[in-house]
This record gives sequence, structure tokens and C-alpha cells, in this order.
Amino acid sequence: MSLTADPPVRRPRRGRLARKRRLAGLVLSVPAILLVGALLWAPIVQAIRYSMTTWNGYSAPVWIGPSAYTTALSDPLVHRVLENNALLLLAVPVAIGIPLIIAALLHEHVRGWRFFRSVYFLPTAISWVVIGMVALQFFAANGMLNQFLADVGLGSVHTDMLASEYSALAALAITFIWSMIGTNTIIFLTGMATLDPTLLEAARVDGLSRRQIFFRVTLPLLTRFIQFAFVITVISAFSALFSLIFVMTGGGPGLGTTTLEFFVYQAGFAQGQFGAGALYGIILFVIMIIVGVGQLRLIRAQDGKGW
Amino acid sequence: MATASASPADTATAPSAPATPASQWQSARFRRRVTATVIFAAMVVIAVVMFYPFWYMGDNSFRNQAQFDRQSGHSFAGWTQLFNDLPVLHELVSSTIVCAAAIVIILVVSTTAGFAFAKLRYRGSGLVFLLIVAAMMVPLQSIIIPEYVNLAKFNLTSNYTGAVLVYAALGAPFATFLMATYYRGISDELIEAAVMDGLSYERTFLRIALPLSLPAIATVTVLQFIQIWDDLLVGYLFLPTGDRTITVGLAVLSSGRTTGIPPLMAGSLVSAIPAIIVYLIFQRYLIRGLTLGMGK
Repeated sequence: MSLTADPPVRRPRRGRLARKRRLAGLVLSVPAILLVGALLWAPIVQAIRYSMTTWNGYSAPVWIGPSAYTTALSDPLVHRVLENNALLLLAVPVAIGIPLIIAALLHEHVRGWRFFRSVYFLPTAISWVVIGMVALQFFAANGMLNQFLADVGLGSVHTDMLASEYSALAALAITFIWSMIGTNTIIFLTGMATLDPTLLEAARVDGLSRRQIFFRVTLPLLTRFIQFAFVITVISAFSALFSLIFVMTGGGPGLGTTTLEFFVYQAGFAQGQFGAGALYGIILFVIMIIVGVGQLRLIRAQDGKGW
Repeated sequence: MATASASPADTATAPSAPATPASQWQSARFRRRVTATVIFAAMVVIAVVMFYPFWYMGDNSFRNQAQFDRQSGHSFAGWTQLFNDLPVLHELVSSTIVCAAAIVIILVVSTTAGFAFAKLRYRGSGLVFLLIVAAMMVPLQSIIIPEYVNLAKFNLTSNYTGAVLVYAALGAPFATFLMATYYRGISDELIEAAVMDGLSYERTFLRIALPLSLPAIATVTVLQFIQIWDDLLVGYLFLPTGDRTITVGLAVLSSGRTTGIPPLMAGSLVSAIPAIIVYLIFQRYLIRGLTLGMGK
């Protein structure tokens, strides 16, 4: 690891005490360095190496080199999987918009809003596995959705969303949106609590309607929180849906609900292609880095404006 | 929903005929009442949507397959079948052991490192901190294959150790970030005063900084408990079949498509209840952790 220049320290940098302090710092940070280094960073390096091989995990790996990536990126199966990831992105604005509305409602602080906040946040405590099992019953041919449709007189609109590729992905996306409501609502509620009430009062006095205040005053001031929610939501969509897919669809029908993260599992553990699995994992990692760096740059740009 | 709640106020902006101050005040109050009622109604509808799955689980766990199919009648069949089909108690014990062990490691590692990065800077500590926190961006799926190879090589997938270590490593970056943020808020003078009084830096950490950081420790514990308790992938791949956690056991049972829905719903409740209890008791710590994640 290369050494960078020390940031300015307020306390004396020389002498016996300073030396002791640095030594203690080093000693106390060693466990974290070992844990994260051995179990997160080292495997990334290994994964990059694996990704350029053909390997079933038992016999000796066969080196392919960087061409493994060009081969994979021209594979129609990979395209199909990446298409699913891209389609899943369509759920992100909804998974942000609905919580924004809910947070705005809660922020009105009408009677019982604390109770409602707790109820809305409750699903964040339960596992994607449990959510997936209930969602499976919701979308099933003889499930809640069709029951509901029949109850409101739309019995002719009999759905079986999990039976075909794109509707199954839509069902997955709807379940995902429902699951993100709690987290994102809390983020926006926190953001709204930071707003200056006199500003909103001034807007009201100036004769702006509730809707105008929301779009012209509240929303611009929440930019930072919306970005944070955006990143959390994208990260979840791309790397937290394994359980949901596992329980609801198993990746099917066909490759209908196989996203990149599930493809890693299928290639690596269902089909024993360790090399290909590692490669898909690296593609996912690169996408995550792009999302993360993009977010950082946005925040930096805003900090420049003095946000 | 938004338009419904916003519309009464919208009409308010329309220029109206001059009214006496008293009636203006009265109608404003009336409009506020209407708005509040509309908002309340909308929140009730949303609450039903968010709570329905929990009610569904409870309702359908007290059914046998026939009762489930016709959606009427109740019995204890779901629950008795659950305890026959699934080693629920053993799985709950496994979940508890794995959660507790991983959380202890995360707390040890993140409090010590967080304190070091905040108060005991050394050459390069800023970079090390950055590398640890940046590991948050590593998706588990990206490293899962080498992770599996490594753990299997050291024979750590035949017991709890492998899964515990992976959970600990996955939780450590965010926990370290959170602890460092918290320790930065403690004044340097307090630390130096303790050292002047003859305590070593290590003891200062244990006796002074650690007790002060109990709220942050609570936040990390709650966040990690829910994360690990609810996880499928790590437990599924790295725990031996006989020592599965409740979440993994349920997922495997469900994906088999041979178990009836009532016992699965009973199992879902069993797995969800500990996390819900923790959530209800420590809600504010969870929310704080989430907002601290924004670096506020």
C-alpha cells in the first residue's frame, strides 16, 4: 500500500506521545484491515484472475486472457441478462417517486403520522425471502391479485404474471418497489425534517399552492437525499434481489428474471462454471463502480456550489 | 394520492370574492380540516398495502391445505406441519449463533478501527480508511466464487465459521465508517487529557471512547442483526445443510415447491418476528444508521 501525505493534525506530531498514538492507531486498525483485506479485496483480485479462465472448480483452470470478456460481451445470453438489469432500472423512478409522495404526506404531520411511519417502515425488517414468498402468492394464478380483480368485478382480467418472461420481470419489479418504500420514505422524511419551516411558510404566504410548494421549494432542496435514495435503490436492484429471484421465479421463465447477480450464481454454483461466474461478477462490480463514482461526482459538483 | 391531497389547497389559491375576515378564517380552517382528512385517508390506504402481507401470513398460517385452497376456515395445521417439516428450533439457534458471532466481530473490528482512523491517525491511515470504506461498493456476487474457493480450501464451510467471517467482512466497512464518524465527534482534548493522566491510548479507547459510543454501537448492532438474520445467499452457500439459518431453511423449502403454503407462511412469521421485535424496539437506531449513511 502506498503512503499518502498526512492530513494536517491539530495535535503535536512529534515526541514520545505522538509516536505512541500512531503506534496505537496502527495496532487498533489491524483487525479491520485483515478482515476486509482477506475477505473482500483479495477475492476481487482472485475474481479478476478467475474471470479470464475456463474453470469448473475441480480440474486445472485453463487460461484464456482478456478475450474472455469480449467473448462474454458478445454472448446473446449475457445480452438477455443485461437487458433484464436495464429493464429493472425502469422501476427505480417509481421506487423513488412513491416514497417521495408518502414522505410528503407524512410530513404534513396529521394525526397518527408516527404510527403510519412505523407501519410503512415495517417491511424493511423482514427478509426478501419472506417478501418473495408472499409475493409469489400474490401473483400466483389462484393468488391474491386475481382474487382482488375478481372482487372488484374484473374477473375477466385473469393474470398469470409469473408464467411469461417480461410479466414475471414486471412482477419482480413491483415487489421490489414495494420493498423499497420503507427505506426511501425514511430517507425523504429525514430530508424534509432538515428543511427550514420558515421557507415553506414564506412560500405559502406568497400564495403558492401545496403542489407548487412541493415541486418548486421542497423537491429542489431534497436533491441530495434523492440522489442518495437513487444510489441505494440502484444498488439494491442490481445486487440485493438474489433472494427475491430465488424464491419467486428461480430466474425464469427462461432467462426472464435472471439479472446479472443471479447469473453469477447460476453460472458458478448451478452449472459449475467458476470462470464465467467470476467474469459476470466483475461486470457487476464495474457497473457498481460507475454508479458509485457518478454519485460522488454529483455530490462534489454540488458542494462546489455550496450546497 | 398526491393530487387528491393537493387539490383542496389548489383551489385556495384561486382569487376569490372579497369576504369578511371571519368567514375567510372559517373557510381556511375548514379547508385545512378537509386536507387533513384526505391525507389521513390516503395514509390509511397505504398502511393497508404495506401491512397486508403480514396479515396474509398470519391468516394463512392457521390453515390446512384444503382451507387455504378455498380461503376459508382455520386450523393449526400450518403450524404443526411447519414443525414437522422444518427443524425450526435448530435453525433459529443457527440464526442466533451466526448473527451473534458475526456482530461481535463487526463491533470489535469497527470500534477499534473507527477510533484509530478518527483519533489515532498515522501515516497512510487516511488511505487505509478509504480502502476499507470503499469495500462497501463491492457486491457480494462479484467475489462469491473466490470466497467459496478460499473458505472451502480452509475447510470453513463445514461449520459456522465461513459464513460468520463473510458476514463480518461484509458488515465491517459500513460499521467502521459509522464508528469513525461518531468518534470524530468526541473532542481531542478529552482523549489527550486521559492520556496525560497516565492511561495508554488503548485503555483510553476502552475506558472512555467505547462507553461514549454506545448509541453508535446500538445502531451497528441493529442494522447488522436485521441484515444477517434476513440474508439468504451467504448462508445458503457457506453453511452446511444441517446448520442452516431459518431464512435459508425457508427459502430452500419454498423453492422445492412441494411444501404447502400454510406451513411456509407460519415459517415466514417465525423468521420475521425476531427482526420485527428488534425493529420495533430499536427503530430510532435503525433510522439513525440510515441517515448517517448519507454522511450527514
